[in-house]
Amino acid sequence: MSFQSRLTCLAGCMTACLALVAGAAFAADSDTAKLTKDPKNWAMQAGDLNNHRYSELKQITSKNAKNLTVAWTFSTGVLRGHEGGPLVIGDTMYLHSPFPNKVFAIALEDQSIRWKYEPKQDPTVIPVMCCDTVNRGLAYANGKIFLQQADTTLVALDAKTGNELWKVKVGDPKLGETTTNTPHIFKDKILTGISGGEFGVRGRITAHDINTGKVLWKAYSTGPDNELIVDPNKTMTWTDGKMAPIGANSSLKTWQGDQWKLGGGTTWGWYSYDPELNTVYYGTGNPSTWNPRQRPGDNKWSMTIFARDLDTGMAKWVYQMTPHDEWDYDGVNEMILADIKVKGKPRKALVHFDRNGFAYTMDRVSGELLVAEKYDPVVNWATHIDMKSGRPQVVAKYSTDKNGPDVNTKGVCPSALGTKDQQPASYSRKTGLFYVPTNHVCMDYEPFQIEYTAGQPYVGSTLSMYAAPNSHGGMGNFIAWDAGTGKMVWSKPERFSVWSGALSTAGDVVFYGTLEGYLKAVDLNGKELWKFKTPSGIIGNVTTWEYKGKQYVGVLSGIGGWAGIGLAAGLTKGNEGLGAVGGYKDLAKYTELGGVLTVFALPDR
Amino acid sequence: MRRSPSLPLLVPLLLPLLLIVPAAAHADDFPTSGRVEYVLECMQKHDGKYEYLYKCSCVVDRIARSLRYDDYVAMSVALRNQGLAGERGGEFRDEVSVRNMASKYKEIEAGANKACAVPQR
Repeated sequence: MSFQSRLTCLAGCMTACLALVAGAAFAADSDTAKLTKDPKNWAMQAGDLNNHRYSELKQITSKNAKNLTVAWTFSTGVLRGHEGGPLVIGDTMYLHSPFPNKVFAIALEDQSIRWKYEPKQDPTVIPVMCCDTVNRGLAYANGKIFLQQADTTLVALDAKTGNELWKVKVGDPKLGETTTNTPHIFKDKILTGISGGEFGVRGRITAHDINTGKVLWKAYSTGPDNELIVDPNKTMTWTDGKMAPIGANSSLKTWQGDQWKLGGGTTWGWYSYDPELNTVYYGTGNPSTWNPRQRPGDNKWSMTIFARDLDTGMAKWVYQMTPHDEWDYDGVNEMILADIKVKGKPRKALVHFDRNGFAYTMDRVSGELLVAEKYDPVVNWATHIDMKSGRPQVVAKYSTDKNGPDVNTKGVCPSALGTKDQQPASYSRKTGLFYVPTNHVCMDYEPFQIEYTAGQPYVGSTLSMYAAPNSHGGMGNFIAWDAGTGKMVWSKPERFSVWSGALSTAGDVVFYGTLEGYLKAVDLNGKELWKFKTPSGIIGNVTTWEYKGKQYVGVLSGIGGWAGIGLAAGLTKGNEGLGAVGGYKDLAKYTELGGVLTVFALPDR
Repeated sequence: MRRSPSLPLLVPLLLPLLLIVPAAAHADDFPTSGRVEYVLECMQKHDGKYEYLYKCSCVVDRIARSLRYDDYVAMSVALRNQGLAGERGGEFRDEVSVRNMASKYKEIEAGANKACAVPQR
């Protein structure tokens, strides 16, 4: 740029800058973070900005949890999987449902419905959702409720009336783009992602103005530097035992030709935000396709932890956990921010339990890799993470790439579901430990050649899953983890995988749900204190709040497979109906039961 | 990775939980809520006809005499989720022990249905 043009620009920018300053004055922080500080509320899906899923409430304790009893229930009237959980702000609960994504505002006083919202969505979005028509819940800020619909519409509703305030579409279901994540409110912005890693979509996150929905920035997971929003010289990554700039074209270099355009790296997980660092953290999903031979290279920045400046979207640091994924180990799981001692030294840490079976502890300021250890001893696809390069040391016989297409790679642990999927862990600020719902499942994986067609599944693999061999025979564990040392503290076996989000409280109780439908309370040593059988399997997240002096605990149940459905769908063979490959038989005729929120409290004396 | 010391202790303790021994222990330990839940669902399946209050109660009482409640829950869940959509349904369809739970439960329920004059649906 010449001096002359710089001057003109400077003059021209003056008015624009003034306008910006004025605009900034209006763009005040939302009230969300403040609301989360009152433990009577549950104002964000994870309870707070840090993804802690921890409550200071302590009326329910490890001594009295055995007395918990049903206070009330609420049916959404919708079948299919119910993920996420309710929000509670003051005297009102806000609850969502899976597709068609109904929203209910419920008065806590008498459980009457204050208002109900049901968007009109094209049902053709259903077949392009890979993993059931789930929705991970609502967000709240400044008197508005935000819903991220399945068809990628982000909508703001008046929290008092349910009236639509604004709507914006963030993707195109015709291309296989759908949305399942909760929107995240950080400071004055709302952030959302995209799903569709099984359909060859190009992952990104967008930041919107809370008041208008206007896109403020959009950052892709794959592609050229400007679309990634990275600075080749300033965006850092772990390299040879230290942080170093990522350099130019860091993503493009790791894909063949223009494969990055179908690169996946979707963003449907649980983001977190550190206000002091003004940094947002999230993970990206698998590269498309699942057949690794078809996409040589590291496939950056799929399977990556991103740390971005909230205001500009600029990436501060990145870390790719599973370069060149060969097993569908999405990196989207929750990013938990905790100030803990790591190997004896206090750190502002980010803790992430990845699908690939390793739990990572990073320095969230610098992006340094501090700890990476297996959080299920059966994990076998890699021997360890090399702490100098930060790369997993892949075991050749479990490499679906080395074995190639049409070869069945057997006995890989974990399965494509990961040692943990999206079901979020809890961090207890009291014990400093992480309580983690996990899968204890291994798989046989057979990739095959596939051509891309927009809006069609782009999977290219068949797989078969089973309980981890030579173990306790069950398919799940609920564990306590020390992220400062990378060691398991205890592990409680479960018959099925644990797909519900955990909650820990100042009352020394940890809650989680099971696929049998039990809500369980355990003490800090993993000892079961209480369990209650809800109407269906639990894949929702446990939530707690206080209303009129009483602590409540609530959880959604509803897994999507009610009585008779299996027979009705005529599924009898082993790997029939697997995911996007052949899933979604028409189960619409079966409508007698919906997902249920069951709410518990201690009995009055 | 080293296992924590508590892990090997917990595993043998909980192993029996993961083994299903149908008909062995006649615990008859179904809670009332479990029986009511079964009857309601069974009645619904038969168009809500009142006669099924008796027939479905008969069925669940029979099932309760042959299975412990925890095993019934796990086995019936295994059967329900054979048709679970999506990748995660694989957990129920692929694992042999879960498929076996499902078919064993189907067999027990069919036997109870027959004895209680409930047509299979």
